[in-house]
Amino acid sequence: MSKILVVDDSSTVRDEVAGFLRKNGLDVETAVDGKDGLAKMKSSPGIKLVISDVNMPNMDGLTMVEKIRGELVNTTVNIIMLTTESSPAMKERGKAAGVKGWIVKPFKGDAVLETFRKLAS
Amino acid sequence: MMTSDMNENRPVSKVLVLDDSPAHANAIKRFCDEHNLVGLKVRKNRLLSVLRSNIDLGAILFSESYGGSLEESAEIALKISTVRPELPIIIRRETSPTLDGLPEGMRRVLCAAYLAGDMAPLRKVIDEYIFSLEYPNALVRGILEITESILSSLFKDVSITWDTPCIVRDRIIFGEVFSLIPLESAWCRGYMMMQAEEQAILELLDRHGMCDAPADFRDLNSLLGEITNLIWGSFKNRYLGDADALARNQVQVPLLVNHKQKYISFGTANPQLCFVYHLTNEQSGHTVKLHQRFIFNLSWSPEDFSEVAQDIGAVVEAGELDLF
Repeated sequence: MSKILVVDDSSTVRDEVAGFLRKNGLDVETAVDGKDGLAKMKSSPGIKLVISDVNMPNMDGLTMVEKIRGELVNTTVNIIMLTTESSPAMKERGKAAGVKGWIVKPFKGDAVLETFRKLAS
Repeated sequence: MMTSDMNENRPVSKVLVLDDSPAHANAIKRFCDEHNLVGLKVRKNRLLSVLRSNIDLGAILFSESYGGSLEESAEIALKISTVRPELPIIIRRETSPTLDGLPEGMRRVLCAAYLAGDMAPLRKVIDEYIFSLEYPNALVRGILEITESILSSLFKDVSITWDTPCIVRDRIIFGEVFSLIPLESAWCRGYMMMQAEEQAILELLDRHGMCDAPADFRDLNSLLGEITNLIWGSFKNRYLGDADALARNQVQVPLLVNHKQKYISFGTANPQLCFVYHLTNEQSGHTVKLHQRFIFNLSWSPEDFSEVAQDIGAVVEAGELDLF
């Protein structure tokens, strides 16, 4: 079964997003920051979709994306940013790094569930 | 308390009126009403305990006859200054609008004097000590909108109301836990602080089933952190833009927290912009308070304040996926 990786330094957000996805039958793994997310990407090849925050300690979300695409040479995993950031410059950087989509917090699961299913399949 | 459908955004400031003179009560009340001050009275035997509590004060309006004698009044003024040195004490004199003739120790802790017949010196002090920073109405209104929207999205079945925003000079921390996040832009540099009482928030988490197990302080920390993060993000997107703040001179000052006194200093005597939110469970009626303070201690240029054009707002709502 394909897996979704949720990366956020806030346990409130991790629990909310991961809990919602699990409740809807999806297989979810979590990471506490970009560094942890990168490590999980290395150790879990079944991950098809990453939902990540941008502003995190140790390694921010966009740097993690750049490393997933660059260092891990993983060009197939779908990556969605779930963040408070909405500046066009930040989104442009995400797009250039290989981000598939952008969600401005707060998280509204019902609005994105079906798209997540497709991206994770 | 005002509710979310009211439209009063101009901040007030609470002042403790330690003046028992019936002859001047009306003049002081009128002055307060005309200058966005909320006058609070307190019984003499409760003065010190009230001063140690979280009532978000801006100043003390004192009278030289408050203690019954000048010596007693001087002693009370010194006690106030010991407990709350950050609060300006302004004294009403009977004959001369100066500090002349007052005991030396008392003079040191007073910032100005006025006569009931001439409030101009009082007005000057209020402007200097309390309303020294101008907060644009659009900013105050925006903060309320942002915060209410985020609290509503996090807590279902909770009604959110708030007190009239106020300007405070005290530094007493509300509750047991607070978060702090920097705000950096071309027109402001400072912090936003969210303060809460631990037990009340833990009960809120449990009542709303927001944790798998009974909530503990880590859950509280995480929740307060996320509330702060969401408000900060919206504030940043709406007001701070992509300012080249980081390229400018990054002056910093130490922040000082005294745990024993529940006191935090940002290295400046500048007044703070304070909001108090009440989250009330519609079924149980149980209410939780959240204090939110804005401290622009490093830079403040309201003349450059502007709202950032909402590039995403018209196309993609918060919470919806913007696919590239």
